[in-house]
Amino acid sequence: MTEENFEKFLKKTAQGYNAPPVRVPREEMWAAIQAKRTAGPRVVYGGGTTSPVHERRFGTRVWLGAAAAAMLLVATGVGIGRLTAPTPTPVAGKSSATLPVPGVIVSGEQPAAEASAPNRVASAATQNSGRQAGVSSVPRPSRAPQNVASNAGDNAVRSQPSRLTPSSAYQLTALQNISEAEALLTSFRSRSSADQQMDAQLGTWARQLLTNTRLLLDSPVGDDPQRKPLLQDLELVLVQIVQQLSPGGTPQDRDLIEKTLQQNHVMTRLRTAIPAGAQRGS
Amino acid sequence: MQLVAYESRSSVNDTQLITRVVAGDAAAERELYETYVDRIYRLTFRLAGDDELARDFTQATFIRAFEKIGSFRGESSLSTWLHSIGLSVTLNGLRKTKRQRTREAPIEEGITVGFAREEAEPDLKERLARAIDSLAEKYRTVFVMHDVEGYTHEEISEAMGIPIGTSKSHLFQARSKLRVMLADFAPEWVS
Repeated sequence: MTEENFEKFLKKTAQGYNAPPVRVPREEMWAAIQAKRTAGPRVVYGGGTTSPVHERRFGTRVWLGAAAAAMLLVATGVGIGRLTAPTPTPVAGKSSATLPVPGVIVSGEQPAAEASAPNRVASAATQNSGRQAGVSSVPRPSRAPQNVASNAGDNAVRSQPSRLTPSSAYQLTALQNISEAEALLTSFRSRSSADQQMDAQLGTWARQLLTNTRLLLDSPVGDDPQRKPLLQDLELVLVQIVQQLSPGGTPQDRDLIEKTLQQNHVMTRLRTAIPAGAQRGS
Repeated sequence: MQLVAYESRSSVNDTQLITRVVAGDAAAERELYETYVDRIYRLTFRLAGDDELARDFTQATFIRAFEKIGSFRGESSLSTWLHSIGLSVTLNGLRKTKRQRTREAPIEEGITVGFAREEAEPDLKERLARAIDSLAEKYRTVFVMHDVEGYTHEEISEAMGIPIGTSKSHLFQARSKLRVMLADFAPEWVS
C-alpha cells in the first residue's frame, strides 16, 4: 500500500519537474531548422553533420576524426616500439641484461655494427629524405658509433630487417606527431576567436597531441638531442593552447602562445623537422 | 491524452508521409514536424530543464531526421524512430553540457550536489527536482519518460534501445533511490 502511495505521490509531484512551457515555440524552431539546413553543415549534438553538402563536411568534423586517427597511430607506434625496443642484440661475452638499451648506448662499449641498426635506419631514412639530414645526422655523443655505421652503407641494414622496427616506429610516430602539431598550430593561429565550435574541436585535438607529445618525450625519441627540445617546446605550446581553449581561457593567453611560438621559433622548427614529401597534418 | 493521438496515426499515414519527405516534398516535411514536434520538445525540455537547450535539441533532432529519413526502414514506428534520435541527441548534448559546466563550476559548488543543502531548502518540489537530477542518466531518463511524460515501457525500450525488462528495472531503481532521498517527506505519501 505504501509503495502504491509513493508511486502516486511521485507521479503527481514530479509533474512539476522541468515543466515545459504550455506554448511550444514551433514557428521559431521551424525557422531555425530551415535556416540551419540551408546554411550548410553543422555539427549537431551527438555527432553527425546536418548538411548533405559533402565538400563542406571536411571542414567541420575532419579534425576530430583526424585527431583520433593520429592518436591511435601514435599510440600504436609507441606501443610497438616499446614492445620491441628493449631487445638488444646479444654480444658474445655479455649477457643481454648488461647491454644498454638503444637510446642510452655508451660509445665504444660495444661494436657499432651490432648496437646501432635501428638508429642507422632512422638516420639513413632521414638522409634519403633530404630535409631531415641536418637534424638527424648530427652526431650524438652517445651514439657516435651508430652514425659511423650509417656512413658505412645500407647493406648492413638490409641484412637485419627484424631490427628495423623499433626505431622506425618511433621515427614515424614522431614525424606524424610533428606534422599534426604543425597543422594544429596553423589552424589555431588562423582561427576566429568567435567560433566556439572550432575552438572545441581544436581543444580536443590539442589535448590529444599533448598526450602524444608526452608519450614521445618518454620514448627513445625523447633522447634525441635535436627532437627533445622541439618536443618540449611543443608540449609547452600545446599546454597553453589547451588552457586558452578551456572555458576560463582569456585573450591574453593567445598573446602568450603567439609569443612562445615566435620566441622559440616553434613553427619554423616544426616545418624543418618534417621531411620533404611527408604528409603535413591531415 | 496526446499520446493516444500519436499512437493512432496509422503506419500507412507514416509510410506515405515518409515517401513524400524522401521525395523532397516540403509540405510533408512540415507535416511531419508539426505532428511530432510537441512531444519531442516536451521530452527534451523535461530532460534538459532549459528552454534554449530544449530548442537546440529539438531542432537537431528534426534536422538529423530529415537528413536520415531515406535510410528509415520502417522496422519501428516513425514516432519511435524520431524519439530514439531525440533521445540520442539530447543525452549526448547534455553530457557535453554537463562536462562543460563541471569544468566551469568551482569545487565548493560541486560538493553541494545531492544532499548537502537539504537542511537549507526543505521544499519538497525543490528536493524532488534535485533528487531526480542526481539520478544516473539511465534511471533519470526512464523515470522522466515513464512517470512524468507517460511513455510506456515498450516505447521507452524502443526509443532507448534497451529491453523492456531493463526499462522496468531502471524505473524500479529510480523510484527506490528517490524514496531513500525523500525519506524526510515520508508522511506526505504515507498519509
